[in-house]
Amino acid sequence: MNSVGEACTELKREYDQCFNRWFAEKFLKGESGGDPCGQLFKRYQLCVQKAIKEKDIPIEGLEFMGPSKGKTEGSS
Amino acid sequence: HPWETVTTAAMQKYPNPMNPSVVGVDVLDRHIDNSGKLHSHRLLSTEWGIPSIVKSLIGTSRTKTYVQEHSVVDPVKKTMELKSSNISFTNLVSVDERLVYKPHPHEPDKTILTQEAIISVKGVSLSSYLEGLMANTISSNANKGREALEWVINRLNAEIEEFTASARGTMRNSMAAAAFVEK
Repeated sequence: MNSVGEACTELKREYDQCFNRWFAEKFLKGESGGDPCGQLFKRYQLCVQKAIKEKDIPIEGLEFMGPSKGKTEGSS
Repeated sequence: HPWETVTTAAMQKYPNPMNPSVVGVDVLDRHIDNSGKLHSHRLLSTEWGIPSIVKSLIGTSRTKTYVQEHSVVDPVKKTMELKSSNISFTNLVSVDERLVYKPHPHEPDKTILTQEAIISVKGVSLSSYLEGLMANTISSNANKGREALEWVINRLNAEIEEFTASARGTMRNSMAAAAFVEK
């Protein structure tokens, strides 16, 4: 599945793989401990935000969160 | 299917053959709130097969419709809620959808989905023939949604089987190699 920004597709794939694994194997089983995909997400996010601005996609009311706060961030 | 399977599939719903118009999915935000629920904000891009001559006149960026989706997964209560609404350059018709996935109260291997949609034209709720038409489309889309998840679940299972088979193959090879060395 592609990203809205063509350049971001590879970053998106890496993040998705990490997230899907964590989601199914840890999060749904109720294991605490943060999301380990923070770094991948940050890189992917920067790319997506740029693409959205460039394409002028009218998204309202969405705050672009930076790194997740507090206990959700895995150690990096 | 059990709720965990459905929820995992829903997070990886695209691409699938039942929704060929979805061409892009991006995560805009994702965080776990103070009560342990996972919030995701996603942007979906869809293309409706507009003839290329039209595209060349108005430019490809205006042929896409975007849907923004907010999902909340509660792993303790086992609920997944999805709210989505379309955003487009004209915003003439808006469709807001809400889906909730919960485990079946009596059959733990099944999941219940409740789905509702609100259709508005320029902010005014429709109550006419057009509404009936779209409602039919939405309920047949609801079936499509179920088929789509079924497809994703089968694909995920096939991947797991493939992985297990190749792991077994690898183990057998290394055991054979070890046996050979021992002799």
